[in-house]
Amino acid sequence: MNESNKPTSPPLDETQSTLYARREKIYPREVHGIFAMWRTIGVLVLLGLYYFVPWLQWNGQQAVLFDLPARKFYIFGLTLWPQDFIYLTVLLIVAALSLFFFTALAGRLWCGYACPQTVWTEVFLWIERKIEGDRSKQMKLDKAPWTPAKFYIKGFKHIVWIVFSAYTGFIFVGYFTPITTLATDLMSLNAGPWETFWVVFYGFATYGNAGWMREQVCLYMCPYARFQSAMFDRETLIISYDTNRGEPRGSRKKGDDYTARGLGQCVDCTMCVQVCPTGIDIRDGLQYQCIGCAACIDVCNDVMQKMDYPKGLIRYTTQTALEGKPTHILRPRTIFYAAILIGIVIALGNAIAHRVPLALDVIRDRNSLYRETNEGLIENVYTLKILNMDDIDHNYSLSIAGSAEGIDDMVIDLDQEYIQVNKGEVSDVPLRVRVDPYDLKTRSTRITFRIQAVDDPELAVEEDARFLGPIQR
Amino acid sequence: MTRETTTQICKAQKVIAILWPSFIVAGIATVLFFTVFDPEQLLADKPWGNISRLGAYTIGFFLFWILCATSCSLTCYFRKPCSTVNT
Repeated sequence: MNESNKPTSPPLDETQSTLYARREKIYPREVHGIFAMWRTIGVLVLLGLYYFVPWLQWNGQQAVLFDLPARKFYIFGLTLWPQDFIYLTVLLIVAALSLFFFTALAGRLWCGYACPQTVWTEVFLWIERKIEGDRSKQMKLDKAPWTPAKFYIKGFKHIVWIVFSAYTGFIFVGYFTPITTLATDLMSLNAGPWETFWVVFYGFATYGNAGWMREQVCLYMCPYARFQSAMFDRETLIISYDTNRGEPRGSRKKGDDYTARGLGQCVDCTMCVQVCPTGIDIRDGLQYQCIGCAACIDVCNDVMQKMDYPKGLIRYTTQTALEGKPTHILRPRTIFYAAILIGIVIALGNAIAHRVPLALDVIRDRNSLYRETNEGLIENVYTLKILNMDDIDHNYSLSIAGSAEGIDDMVIDLDQEYIQVNKGEVSDVPLRVRVDPYDLKTRSTRITFRIQAVDDPELAVEEDARFLGPIQR
Repeated sequence: MTRETTTQICKAQKVIAILWPSFIVAGIATVLFFTVFDPEQLLADKPWGNISRLGAYTIGFFLFWILCATSCSLTCYFRKPCSTVNT
């Protein structure tokens, strides 16, 4: 007799099952080949740049410095202020368009060759391989019990990883505060608390992402994996297994007549699975986990060569090509992206090249709208903020541009004839403007202030403001 | 009797679903906010105004992260089907 009121089965409307299995570590097998070579070149060039560029000097200071404390970005002689934020926005648009273009062309080129996660994980895997040995040695070591030898090997690997990560963190912060000062401060244990925090934070993130998480970043964290298919079309180059050629798969000896046995060219060596850093089988078709590293291509070509079969059982190809139809790499989509990309890059380059390193802000005195002087003139008080964004000192002359809506006689009361502003500095200049009330047609008249460098008339900027007066009778 | 079966993501993915998008958005928010507002001017009159700019950016970033993580958590919380709520 069951007197319990407890339900013995899950609620009728919904059952949730968890397809959760504890992650099994993936041991990607080492691979050599043309695409592996390109990946290595990618690692060397990109990391070489990353670790080297902050140490470059230009005109006596760090060449590439996104100086957060000083709120200026220095890029090889170009000094960007927060007011120049628009350029970074356009740069972001360029980056997005490049992503669309390269993905439409050949799928996840970014993921396989350039993404920081891939690049750093490759270095960490290389370190692991040097210390623990190749794939089979690593698997054996992990299965073994914890002997002192295992402890030393694993410990040594983690120490190397941590030191490398710490240096990476230091270089990262060196892009945002002057790196030479940072280096001496860190070594004398005198660095600021926030700089130290970010070195540790970024170092820890490198260690965690490249050492521990590896492909899990690509699988669980990267949004690109999930919307990549929106950027593909039937003529995008993707890494594909030629099912027509390969199936049915089966092992055989070299020189066997496999067609007589009803087999395709795939010898089912599973090498493509062993080298895959995300642990998939590319023979199942393109999956979201595939990061396009082409390791499977390299290793399969190797095996094909040993079997005296033609290469390319797994290769970069398009869906239309696999169906036997003609393929166009150059097509409206790619041409369109390329054209827009080139256009925007040229426009951006042009805008930066012709950037005027001068800015003017006009701020009205908040105390009153206007005042009447002893002579009966109407007076407005302003503060001009002059930003000298150039890298040399300048003297500027101030004038009213044009004849503000028909007012011929506007008196500017300025203490000095020229305003001097040093390079990279902002100068606040108080200013009074006086007008005969008979000349004022409206309560609010637009006036345009113009400042111009004395040594370079081309270096000038204008800014509109309003001159306020009494209500017209 | 029909039952609807849904598959759930693993715990690691749930944690990442809250912490990672909030990290990205907090980063963007930090950049946009501090490009417009200079922390030195914002905090000049405050008693803790002695903090360096880098410190202000850091704390601002983590505050944004917490804020966005709260939003992500609430989103995840409200994804729970109404029929499974106990009242």
